[in-house]
Parts: sequence; C-alpha cells; structure tokens
Amino acid sequence: MITIKSKSVVKAVLLFVVITFGFLTVSGSVQAARKELNVLTWCDHTDPALLRSFEQKHKVRINMKEYDGTGVALALLEQSQPGDWDVFVVDSIDVARVVKLGLLEPLKEADFPFGDIFPQIRTPELHNIQGKLYAMPEKFGYNTIAYNNKKVDPADMRDAAVLWNPKYKGRMAVYDYYIPVIEMVAIGLGIKPTQLNKSHLPAIKEKLFAMKKMSKLVGDVVQVQTALATGEVDIIAGGGEFSVSVLHKENPALDWVLPNQGGVRWQQAIGVFAASTQKDLAVKFVQYILSPEGQGKLATSSCYWAMPANSKAVLTPEQKKILRWDEQPKFLSNSYFYLQPDEAFDKAMLDVWTQFLQHK
Amino acid sequence: MVKQYLVSMWKNAPAVFYVLLVYVFIFLPVAVLVLFSFQDALLPIPPFQGPSLRWYEAIFTDFRIMDALGNSLMVAVVSAALSCFLGFLAAYGLARYTIRGSGVVQWLLVAPLSVSYLIIGMGLLITFKTMAIPKSLLAVIIGHVVINLPLAFAIIYSQMGEHQANIERAARDLGAAEWQVLVLITLPLLWPALLASFFLSFTLSWDEFIIALLVSRFDVTLPVEIWSLLRSGLNPKTNAVGSVVFIVSIVLVFVMEIVVFGRRKSK
Amino acid sequence: MRAKRKLGGWGFVGPGLLWTIAFFAVPLLIMAAYSLFQRIGGRIVTDLSLSNYLAFFTKPHHLNALINSLEVTLITTIISIILAYPLAYILAFRVPPRWQRIALMMAILPFWTSYVVRSYSWLLVLSSNGVISNIVQWLGVVDSPISLANSRAAIVLGFVHFFTMLLTLTIFANLVQISPNYKKAAADLGASRLQTFWRITLPLSIPGVMVGAFLTIVLALGDYITPQILGGFREVLLPQAIMLQIQRQANFPMASAMSLVLMVVISIIFLLFSRWLKIERM
Repeated sequence: MITIKSKSVVKAVLLFVVITFGFLTVSGSVQAARKELNVLTWCDHTDPALLRSFEQKHKVRINMKEYDGTGVALALLEQSQPGDWDVFVVDSIDVARVVKLGLLEPLKEADFPFGDIFPQIRTPELHNIQGKLYAMPEKFGYNTIAYNNKKVDPADMRDAAVLWNPKYKGRMAVYDYYIPVIEMVAIGLGIKPTQLNKSHLPAIKEKLFAMKKMSKLVGDVVQVQTALATGEVDIIAGGGEFSVSVLHKENPALDWVLPNQGGVRWQQAIGVFAASTQKDLAVKFVQYILSPEGQGKLATSSCYWAMPANSKAVLTPEQKKILRWDEQPKFLSNSYFYLQPDEAFDKAMLDVWTQFLQHK
Repeated sequence: MVKQYLVSMWKNAPAVFYVLLVYVFIFLPVAVLVLFSFQDALLPIPPFQGPSLRWYEAIFTDFRIMDALGNSLMVAVVSAALSCFLGFLAAYGLARYTIRGSGVVQWLLVAPLSVSYLIIGMGLLITFKTMAIPKSLLAVIIGHVVINLPLAFAIIYSQMGEHQANIERAARDLGAAEWQVLVLITLPLLWPALLASFFLSFTLSWDEFIIALLVSRFDVTLPVEIWSLLRSGLNPKTNAVGSVVFIVSIVLVFVMEIVVFGRRKSK
Repeated sequence: MRAKRKLGGWGFVGPGLLWTIAFFAVPLLIMAAYSLFQRIGGRIVTDLSLSNYLAFFTKPHHLNALINSLEVTLITTIISIILAYPLAYILAFRVPPRWQRIALMMAILPFWTSYVVRSYSWLLVLSSNGVISNIVQWLGVVDSPISLANSRAAIVLGFVHFFTMLLTLTIFANLVQISPNYKKAAADLGASRLQTFWRITLPLSIPGVMVGAFLTIVLALGDYITPQILGGFREVLLPQAIMLQIQRQANFPMASAMSLVLMVVISIIFLLFSRWLKIERM
C-alpha cells in the first residue's frame, strides 16, 4: 500500500489552487485589454440599432449588462471588480445615492447640449451634488396604468384605485419595481407620494397583497409587455408608455393613461464610472446618447419606447405621436417623481416588496 | 393476411394512439418555436404571417449572438475534454490501483452530481468574490468541469472491466511501458465510453445556464445571451436563435449516434 | 482474480480529486461560513450566528418557497412517471426492433432544444393569444381565449415536458435489460399478461423509475428558469427566492443559508433513493 505524507498532499492542493487562480486572474486582465466599453444599463440601451453607429465610428465593442432596478445594479456592482464598468445608466432619483458610494465621476456641463434638454427634465437638484454635475438626464416616462382599450372600460382606468378593483381579477399584471408601484398604491389610497413614510406601509402592504391575489403575474418590463401583447392580461399596474408604445404597430388597442389622482414619473440619467479606465471614450458615448441621433434611437429602442430628454431628438411625426410628444406638459404637471427614501425606509419598502412577491 | 393485419392494428391501436399523443405533447413547443421563427411580424404568436427570414438575418448579423455562439462552443469543447481527461485518469487510478480510502475518493468524485447547479454556481461566485478573482469564461469552464467530471468518471469507470485489466497486464508482461499500455491498450478499449462521456459533457455544458449566468462577465455563453435577449424585448429573434441551437444539437446527436453506436454495431 | 497494483494510484486520481476539492468542496465550505454571517446596512458582518437559518424557518414567506418547491416537484415527478412509463413500455416491447432506436430518438429529440428557449416556447404556446388557446377556440371547445400561462400549472407542464423525456429514457434503458426469459417462464407457468406485468416486469423496472425520479427531483428542485419564465411570480419557488437574495439585495449570507437548506433537502432525498443509485463496474 502506497503511503503519501499528508503534508505533501496539502502542498499539492495549495500549489494547484494557486496556479489555477493565478491563471484566472491573468486571463481576466488580458480580456480587459481589448478595446471595449462596458455599460451597466436598463434594457433599452441594448438595442443593436442604437449602438451600431457608435461602435463603427470608434471601432469599439460595447458590452451591455441589463438590470431592472437600482438595487439589482448595485448588487451586480458588488460582484464585480473596480474598473469593470465604464458607463452607468441609472434612475435620476438614485444619482445622489450612487454618488455617495463614490461610484460616479463628475461631468463637464459644457460637454453636453444642456440647452436642448426639456426644462422640466433638467432637475439639477437630482444630478448636481455639491455643485458638480454627475449624470445627464436622457429619457423619461410614466409608471401608471397601461391597458388594452378593447377589453377594459377606459373610464375605470382613470381611477388609481382600479389596481385593486375586483372587476379586473385575474386580468392584471404588476410591474416588478417596488418604488413606483408602492407609490401608485399610495396615490390610490389618497396618500400624496411626497408625504409617504414608514407609517403608511402596513396599509400599502395590505393593498399589495390584495393586488397579488388579483394579478395574473408580476414581471419585468418585457414580461409584462409580453403578457399584455399575448392577451394574458388586460392591465399593467405600473405600466406606461414604456410597456405599450413599442407594440403600437402590432396592436393599436394598447394604451396607457395617468389616473386623475396623478401618476408616477420615472427618469433615467447616464453617467461615467469613477473607476473607469477609459473615461474619454465613456464621455463620448454619453455625448452620443444625448445627441439628437442617439436620443431618437434611444426613445424608440427595441426594449421600450419613452420620451427622450433632448427636445431636438430625431423622430418621425408618427413616432412623436405614439410617444404623445405634444401632451407632455399636461402629463408632467400631473405626475410625481420617484420618491427618494432614506436607507431604512428603502429597506422597509424592499422587505414589503419581497413579501409581496412571495405572497400567494 | 389482410385480416391478420387488421387484427394486429386493432390490438395495437391504443398503444399507437398513446405514443402519438405523447409525441404531440413533446413536439408541440418545438414546432411552435420553429414555425414562429419565420414570423413576419413583431410578435411570435398567432396569427402566423410569413414566412420570412428576417429574424435569421437579424441574428446572423448580430455579433453579440455570434460571439456567444463561439464562446459556447469553446467552453463546451474545453470543459468536455478536460472532464473526460480527468475522469479517465481518476477511473483508471481507482480501477487499477489500490488506494487507501477509495470509497471516500469515489464518493467525493461523484458528489457534485447530487448538488444543484445553482448551488455549485453560487459557491463558485462567492469563492471568486472572496478571493477577488474576476468573473470570466474560464470561470464558466471551471464550473462546467465540476458538473461534468462526475459523469465522465462514472461512465468511464463503469466500462473498466476485468477483461481489460487482463489485456493490460498481458501487455505489461510483454514489456510495454506504462504509457504504452495506457495509450495503446486502455484508451482504444475505452473509446466508446470516452466518446459518450465527451458528447454528454459537451451537451450539458452547451446548454448550461445558471452557472454561466453567475460567473461570466461580458463574454457570455449562448444560453446567457438568449436570456438577455428574452429580457430586452419580445420578438421572434429568440425563436430564430432557439431553432438554430436545436438544429446544431440535432446534428451533433446524429454524429454521436453514428460515431459511437455505429462503431459498436459494426463490431 | 484481482491484481491491483499498489504504487502510483494517487497520480491518476489526484488531478480530478483536486479539481473537485478546489472548485466544489472548498466553495461549499466557504458558502457554509457565509451562511453564518449577516448582511447589515450594505455590508457583510462576519459575526457568526444562525440568524439566517432562523429567519428562513420562522418567516412564512421564506419557508413557503421551500414548501412550494417540494409540492411542485412532487406533482411533476408523479405526472412524469405516469406519462413516461407507458411510453417506455410500448417503445421497449411493442415497437418492432427495427424502429426502436429511431422511435426512442424521436421521443427525446426536443431534449436538445436550448433549455432557456424551451420554457419560453411553452409561454408562447400557453398564453391567451397562443397556439393552444387558438386551437381550442377553433375547435369550438371554448368561445373566449383561455390562458394557461403564468401559473403553477404552467410550471408543472414545463417541467413535465422535460422530465417525461428523461424518465422515458431511464425506464426504457431498464426495461430492455430485463431478460425475456423471466416473462416466458411466467407465461409457461400460466400467468396472464397482466400478472406477468405486475409480478415480473414492473418490479424489475423499479430501478429505472427510481433513477429517473431522483434525477427529476434534483433537477426540478434546483431549477430557476422554468418557474421564472412560466410562473409569473404568482408564487416563488426556492431557487427564485435564492436568486432574489443574490440579484436584488446582494445578500450572499442569506442566499448561502437558503442554498444549504436546499442542499440538505436534496441530500435527504439522495439517502432515500441511495439503494437504487449505485455505480457498478461491469
């Protein structure tokens, strides 16, 4: 019987592990040496039609990782190495939070067409921290109620409380993003989103559970789109132009509305990571996205359509009509921004949402 | 004659009916998938319009999908080869040598079989994170070897019979060196088992999703790319990719059928 | 006669063993350590405690994920066996040998579609404007669209589709190995066909059923894609709950604890099935 000293086995294991892990680290850094731009984004930026002209002009390959909520993005960042990412598309409302984590690089206002951005969308209170600009607004829209106007009574959709109206049991999908949907529920309960606080959560949770019982599914942007398009559901709670405009050609009956009590407005911004090793190229990409050409393609990208931030975006009259370009002033005045919870309130809302997802 | 035929048909009718029914069930999603990959509209649902090849054109001109396809092939080939190599060595060692604690060794080698891919992937993710090792395709390969090594080992080990040991011993008695025995005797005898484990490992790696999702970075494998495709808009592009993957896999299955089983028959 | 050699075995076994230890056993140990940590306020706190496990077993919304998973898996396994057994039996004994291989290949062909795409195809087949709904409306069975997607039934259906193929394979492999002599002997002794089946064929085919059932249970319990695509979050299964912790909250300690619970459950099932799961050398 052969005997191998346990010490030498341990040595062999250690050597083996060190070599393999060393190889892994090296190969990881070799991969990073290729000319690539890494973008962490909502799914709308992943449209090849949007990226192609930039990729060709700058001979660069753009890697996209799509996420669906700032929490998901932060979780993903936590699993990456510093320097992995170059460009960050993030909700305007979360810019301050991200800056506090030291993730973003200040931008120069002169680099961007600030004068062309719709005045209501500029929101320096969100993008400027201690006098420095950290992200440029790029796209906005609404989390309200989207529906199929052939299958529901459009008049019902004007009331935010329709979200728990038993008339539509089994015909509703809920968009899986906790902040806007919780805000919508608050609006339906008659609570002004600007006054929303922890004491309201029990009542909201009760309504959410009622909605869970009523709803056919809870899903991300594409899942709720799919459900509405395939006739699975007739209403998307938290839906809006982003869930129906892209399908307009296929089915013009898909529509959306702001309830009389108001709706929730979302807004995306784009910035450059502080740890990026190619900030010049990253800034060029941000400039491209904010250019009239980039804005037109972004507004009509394959994942979801929504209003561009740049008033000079290149869009056909028909596209503008689908986006309801001319009605925006009315919508803007009747919508609330995403709320900015502090960490404790955010965690409390996330807990409620997790329970909502796991509720049967 | 005719009567006999009719009687046997009558007797077999329920069985035939049942088989057809199950086949319809099994083929329904595939048929729908392929049909609507030719859809000439934005939504891959009835009514069918077309046929059109526009979605195939869209995927073959999308370099992200093509790169993912290349990555998937690379990961599958490398991880399958590595699994077979390590699995063969381990099986040979266990079958031909006395090893202290061979029961424990054998148990450890096949242990990953009874653990979900999700758990294996998460373990690797946390380990790499703790040791600050970046995510990469290599990490995916490592994970795939972890899941395929037990299978390769089990298949090869199960085919290492005593009669082969006798032939090996005879070769050694005739003066063959250890490497000569391995290369000239053991490997040719085990060829079908090696091929079978290679193809099985290849297929499982080719289609593996969750480990690849968790430990890959920007260079992704095809299942992960398909997942992002699904999450960035509903369109028949996904159908087209799915159909291509299906065709590629079927070709592979037939190659394997001919190479592995055709050999056996010819003997 | 066995004449195993004594020297050098570790040289052959070593590399594979090291691989398994480094990339399987060590990660599991690290996960086990993590499961005792907590994530508090965006940071991992490394004080050891059982609070993750406590949270899992006392909070109903966590525990329900495990219960849902077990229920769905059990239903799936039973239906798959009921569907697969007759198919395997017919393929093994009723189909002429000439057609057997091709018939079997046909029965498992869709196995080779991408696993992510397969669930997605089912979603299209089952949705209200989907193929099934259109067919039954056209047949006049119902007059308004029916929806089967986004439900537990859809998850089970997606699973059953895959595992019927798997079980057909394992049961078939087992059935064709049963020596026809047993059946002949039974017939000679005057047993009816039904008796032969109950007394001879069925008991001898149990190992094939059990191996397939075990694979079904392990794969179904750990699957994330099928419930994620077909379930519509009406209820959450354990792998989804684990991914929620990783993707939404980066809460690796909680995800580790939940994964280990899943692993323990699978280990218990492995022990229950272990008598049928032996690697034998020829």
